[in-house]
Amino acid sequence: MKLTIPVFVLSTCLLAYAAVPSGRRSHSAPPVDFGRDIKPILSQKCFKCHGPDASKAAAGLRLDLFDGATKKLRDGFAIVPGKPIQSKLLERVSSTNEDMRMPPPDSGATPLTKEQIATMEAWITQGAKYAKHWSFVPPAMPKSPGVKDSKWCRNPIDGFVLAKLEEAGLKPETQADRHTLALRAAEVLTGLPPTKAELDSYLQDKSSDAYERYVDRQMRKTAYGEQQARYWLDAVRYGDTHGLQLDNERAVYPYRDWVIEAFNKDLPFDKFLLWQLAGDLLPSPTTEQMVATGYVRMNLTSNEGGAIAEEFLARNTFDRVETTGTVLLGLTIGCARCHDHKFDPIKQKDYYGLYAYFNSTQDQPLDGNIALPPPFIRAPSSEQTQRLSQLEADLGAVRKGINDKNALVWLTANRAGSLESKDWQISPVMMAKSFDEAFDKPGPGEPGHDTTDWKPLKFQVGKDHASLVGKDNAAVYVKGTVVASKRTKLIIGVSSDDAVKVWLNGKLIHANKVSRGVDQAIDKVVGTFNPGPNELIAKVINGSGPDGLNIRLTDERTQRIIDTVDTFNKQPSPINHVAVVDTYLEVGPDTPLSKRYRAIKAEQKVLMGQIPMSLIAKEMTTPRPTFILKRGQYDQPGDPVQRHVPSALGELTPKMPNDRLGLAKWMISPSNPLVARVFVNRVWQQSFGTGIVKTSEDFGSQGELPVNQPLLDYLAVQFAKKGWSVKQLNRQIVTSAAFRQASRVTPLKLVKDPENRLISRGPRFRLDAEEIRDKALFASGLLSDKIGGHGFKPYQPDGLWEGSSDPASSTHFYVRDRDNSIYRRSMYMFWKRTSPPPVMVTFDSPTRDTCIVRRSVTNTPLQALTTLNETAFLEASRVMAQHLTVDKLSDEAKMTSAFRRTLAREPEPWERKVMMSALARYRRKYLGSPKAAHGVLRVGDATPVAEPLAPETASWMLVCSSLMNTDEFLSLH
Amino acid sequence: MDPIREAELMMTRRQLFGRTSLGLGTAALGRLLSIGGLGGAAGLASAFGPEKHGGLPGFPNFAPKAKRVIYLFMSGGPSHLDLWDYKPKLNDLFNTDLPDAVRRGQRVTTMTSGQTRFPIAPSKYKFNHADNNGDGIWVSELLPHTSQVVKELCVIKTMWTEAINHDPATTYLQTGSQLPGRPSMGAWLSYGLGSMNENLPTYVVLHSKVTSGKPNQPVYPRLWGTGFLPSEYQGVALRSQGDPVLYLKDPEGLDRGTRREMLDDIAVLNHGQLSQFGDPEIAARIKQYELAYRLQASVPDLMDLSKEPQATFDLYGKEAHEPGTFAANCLLARRMVERGVRFIQIFHRGWDLHSDLGVDMPTQAKDVDQACAALIKDLKRTGLLEDTLVVWGGEFGRTVYSQGPLSHENYGRDHHPRAFTVWMAGGGVKPGMVYGQTDDFGYNIVDKDGAIIDPSVERQTPGAVHIHDLQATILNQLGIDHTKLTYHYQGRDFRLTDVNGHVIHDLLT
Repeated sequence: MKLTIPVFVLSTCLLAYAAVPSGRRSHSAPPVDFGRDIKPILSQKCFKCHGPDASKAAAGLRLDLFDGATKKLRDGFAIVPGKPIQSKLLERVSSTNEDMRMPPPDSGATPLTKEQIATMEAWITQGAKYAKHWSFVPPAMPKSPGVKDSKWCRNPIDGFVLAKLEEAGLKPETQADRHTLALRAAEVLTGLPPTKAELDSYLQDKSSDAYERYVDRQMRKTAYGEQQARYWLDAVRYGDTHGLQLDNERAVYPYRDWVIEAFNKDLPFDKFLLWQLAGDLLPSPTTEQMVATGYVRMNLTSNEGGAIAEEFLARNTFDRVETTGTVLLGLTIGCARCHDHKFDPIKQKDYYGLYAYFNSTQDQPLDGNIALPPPFIRAPSSEQTQRLSQLEADLGAVRKGINDKNALVWLTANRAGSLESKDWQISPVMMAKSFDEAFDKPGPGEPGHDTTDWKPLKFQVGKDHASLVGKDNAAVYVKGTVVASKRTKLIIGVSSDDAVKVWLNGKLIHANKVSRGVDQAIDKVVGTFNPGPNELIAKVINGSGPDGLNIRLTDERTQRIIDTVDTFNKQPSPINHVAVVDTYLEVGPDTPLSKRYRAIKAEQKVLMGQIPMSLIAKEMTTPRPTFILKRGQYDQPGDPVQRHVPSALGELTPKMPNDRLGLAKWMISPSNPLVARVFVNRVWQQSFGTGIVKTSEDFGSQGELPVNQPLLDYLAVQFAKKGWSVKQLNRQIVTSAAFRQASRVTPLKLVKDPENRLISRGPRFRLDAEEIRDKALFASGLLSDKIGGHGFKPYQPDGLWEGSSDPASSTHFYVRDRDNSIYRRSMYMFWKRTSPPPVMVTFDSPTRDTCIVRRSVTNTPLQALTTLNETAFLEASRVMAQHLTVDKLSDEAKMTSAFRRTLAREPEPWERKVMMSALARYRRKYLGSPKAAHGVLRVGDATPVAEPLAPETASWMLVCSSLMNTDEFLSLH
Repeated sequence: MDPIREAELMMTRRQLFGRTSLGLGTAALGRLLSIGGLGGAAGLASAFGPEKHGGLPGFPNFAPKAKRVIYLFMSGGPSHLDLWDYKPKLNDLFNTDLPDAVRRGQRVTTMTSGQTRFPIAPSKYKFNHADNNGDGIWVSELLPHTSQVVKELCVIKTMWTEAINHDPATTYLQTGSQLPGRPSMGAWLSYGLGSMNENLPTYVVLHSKVTSGKPNQPVYPRLWGTGFLPSEYQGVALRSQGDPVLYLKDPEGLDRGTRREMLDDIAVLNHGQLSQFGDPEIAARIKQYELAYRLQASVPDLMDLSKEPQATFDLYGKEAHEPGTFAANCLLARRMVERGVRFIQIFHRGWDLHSDLGVDMPTQAKDVDQACAALIKDLKRTGLLEDTLVVWGGEFGRTVYSQGPLSHENYGRDHHPRAFTVWMAGGGVKPGMVYGQTDDFGYNIVDKDGAIIDPSVERQTPGAVHIHDLQATILNQLGIDHTKLTYHYQGRDFRLTDVNGHVIHDLLT
């Protein structure tokens, strides 16, 4: 084909390009920046077929690399640097012939615009220089830019912001008034308005750093940690249930509480990440570091009937890898699950290199539908830890009062006999369709269904024996011979996981159909043993998860003495000395010391029962081998893969172990180009509504370029340099002049900076779901400040859980809480992932199925109905009205108070007029109809209103509800 | 017009509706706002561009055959072998082992992987030959009513999926991905096509009571959720208990007039904010409160069946009187179609019969049979079938071999992804059609000569319909090129059909 780019086309293109505003004019085209100007075009239009996915490189052409783009192809060169006329690429993208033009119509991409073609041409003319994608180059501290109005700047952030504004010909807004500023800062930092006292003390503080000190006070409130944690919990998809199919409850809230605590004590963010990714791999990790690894376990899990473990191992790992990719690296590596990434230099092999870090934890791929699929850890609060160590010290003191020789003498004297047992054997495992069937159906080994398949079993009476069944919905028989010297009637103990049946000499003496752990219960069973050998058979029936059995042939007390004395005689070690003393104190004669000992033990037991468990990660001793999964199919393994990070992003240094710990260390190393940037961008997003990179979940080629890269890099470098302090980062942002601007939009700015990306004004955006509900409770005075603990169940319309979940689910029935816990902050709502709290979801909270680092913000009629009619909101306006009604103030003063409680400011005169006239109307209505007044007040648990006050309270209630439904109440501004 | 000038004019209008209008008094402003429905609020919002409710520009991509969809989802996986896929030759093979040549290494769930045998369980139910204006079709005796409308149905016997467990399979069918996180089909449609009636939700979900009392498989909001699309596109569940739409009803003691006054006061305060801040979102908020007020009237009107004639209940069955039954939901679907609701999804559960098909299949079928037929007849009668697409089916089929004990009277069936039956009607699909065929075991998809086909998700396989193909075909009927309805998220243009899906033109008129 003939070259068909006539000079005519070129000159038009150049003209078109010159017309693009670029801040400067010259005869030659302005310098083209590959990352800013070219990469987005290539990525959008070309990479799908000519990008990093080597297998798809159509016609052998790759445009993501200089070498690929400039190599000789069959028809010539796509790009000849400096020679646009010889570059086939320009010819093809500007061709008017549809068959020739790139990208082809069936690619789904539209042709390049004239401006884009001109830009490409200018780039080739200037030498077609390639540059690494901006976010893959580690950030360097940028020079502070020169600005005209340097007086405006309060800290380095402002210089970067102002430079952009001046470039766009915009001026910052004046500072917001102090009321607004106080409210804005408190809402950003803590998710709550300031209390009246906090606001007053700030307003009265006339010192020059009053605002800074106010900000510091806000960050010292525990509400600060709660607010910061909320965003993190979205990102890691925290939930209180497994999230799939049965969606049973899971025990992991100590992780949530740890995140709150970490932000409150300003745990450096690098440690924060390290512990979550790999706390278990640290040398002798603390409980806190182990609880943090709940991060790894946060993925959705299932044990749907019929599910195949290998398939779920892959699914679970995909979930972990892709979440980590988004949360920490801001990359959409999920694309590389099935093929090389089409836009970013992440190969399918790289994906499985990361996968290999996450597929070798000890947890089973199927969760057993239980709350605590192992491994897990006891996670006491700091008060609980303190009390426990106090109790341990008290025990030590008591032990000191006992002479261990005397104790041993007493124990030996009281060592009664136990029945001897021998010849323990185990039957084959019997599978069943259900737990019921496994319990009911006789299997081989049951008396009357004997089998020849008994196998010898090493079984010790009085000890827990785990994993006898090893399957779900299955059973096994354990048989032993018990020898008695005379006819003996005895209470024996049987403990099992889960259900159990016991036969003595062929007669069923015990059946207990329960679901439990072997250490959770002990059944007392009366058995009469004949002289000589007796046949004892126990059937262990396992529902799901671990299983086990323990049989005791004596009473508990005697067994304890036997164990202690025998163990001591075998090995008189220091530990066994202590055991002698403990047993003596426990079961020996009553003395003041033994009573004290038992009391401490009892308290210990109660306390231990209160300490919650939390899911954690633990690495297998030998990692599972990893293979590329073809097309992401778990049953189609390809080549084996070793653990590695995507080469485009760097590599682990030899000093780092090649496991999750090494991965974590690589994440927080200075050479990592993404982690700090990705996080500071999200904190910026929390404060201004939009990140410096708008696509906070994607810093790759398809993501948006940073609107102000020097600002982003400054924040990232500074963050790491200053010890990864999240509090300092927040402080710097909210005390900047940029943040302090008034948030009004002028017509000019509405056109030049419609989304406030340049920060030409203060932030204004709708509050998040949690903040809106919390604010209403706060205004009413109902909000509880209890931190952490089990999720609470708020008001919720009937039938939401029952109507959609499996009746067998542990979260099938919704029983709301009836105590003060319903007034807790929204972040503590019990989060059932397949049916999250409707108020939250209506206001765009994610469902926590997948990682979300940027919530959508919508504006819908269902939201209006929620804040108008949902019980918690109505109750809040009712209780707030009650407070106003009983105050001995004028109506005017009450109206002021209503505005202050809801909007943290006084009403404008015209607003006062509107609402006073509304109040008068409501009064007329409800004084004329006390019944209606009672109707409207009958909402929520909080103490009801006294009879004569009803019409007055109802009238104020509608005023309060109106204020809570204003855009101002619902927004940060 | 100069954009800055335009924005300045906006501000001026805002002044009018903001501070200065206070001179008129609140009541007058209220009246002003309610004139022509949205009045000032709508005007303000529209000054910033086209309404979101119009869907995406350029959509539909071409003239649609269907304007709305009713999806009757049979959750749990109904047995195609006992309803639609007649296999008389199996009677001679009762309790014989499924040949390996038929199973061909198909993976089985861990519920039957421990079975030592895979004994063939022929359907115990009789099949009748029904006239469909073509070659006729065999329909189970369990569907006496549906068999009367087969002239309207396009029955696909060769649907297939890769998923073998409920959660992944259902999520796959509803969202195009086995892993959670993607928008549901209805959300995609709301996003792409927008609303036809702003006074009702665009995408409505209805849950049906199950007579057998064994609803087993859960259905969860993610199945009608929006994934990464903004939440305004999510399905709204119309409930049969409490408020039909959450928080729709005003509290007792707050009458409609008082609510109106309250909303007017809120609007006045919001206008004040608008004039102070100039944020277009405030204008949008004012409008949403007006829409909420209208929903409070239009939803109860929709749910009120008192004006339906007796003939309606004769058609749908007397169960239609009882809120929440599948029959009542089908009737509501017809009423919604009349009112311009775009996508209606009715869930019916209880089809996951691993045992006792001899007992539970009749109950399950009876729950839906008459109402399905009634819906088709009713839509046909009113002419709405022409541009309404009705789809019936589950997430997968069931195995020909018995799970658990097998007798002539009773048997169980495990999940089977390799072939199952779905039917469609109206909206430009061929009426009276039977598409595709399975082997004598209802196990594999076969070609005309009976040779086994291995369908591919990547290429269109004639005679087989992958669930992405079904999704592509449904979108096609609504005038949407399924490759064009995309949303850019995490660096990728996502779509309902992921990277596959082909419109099955053979099914279309």
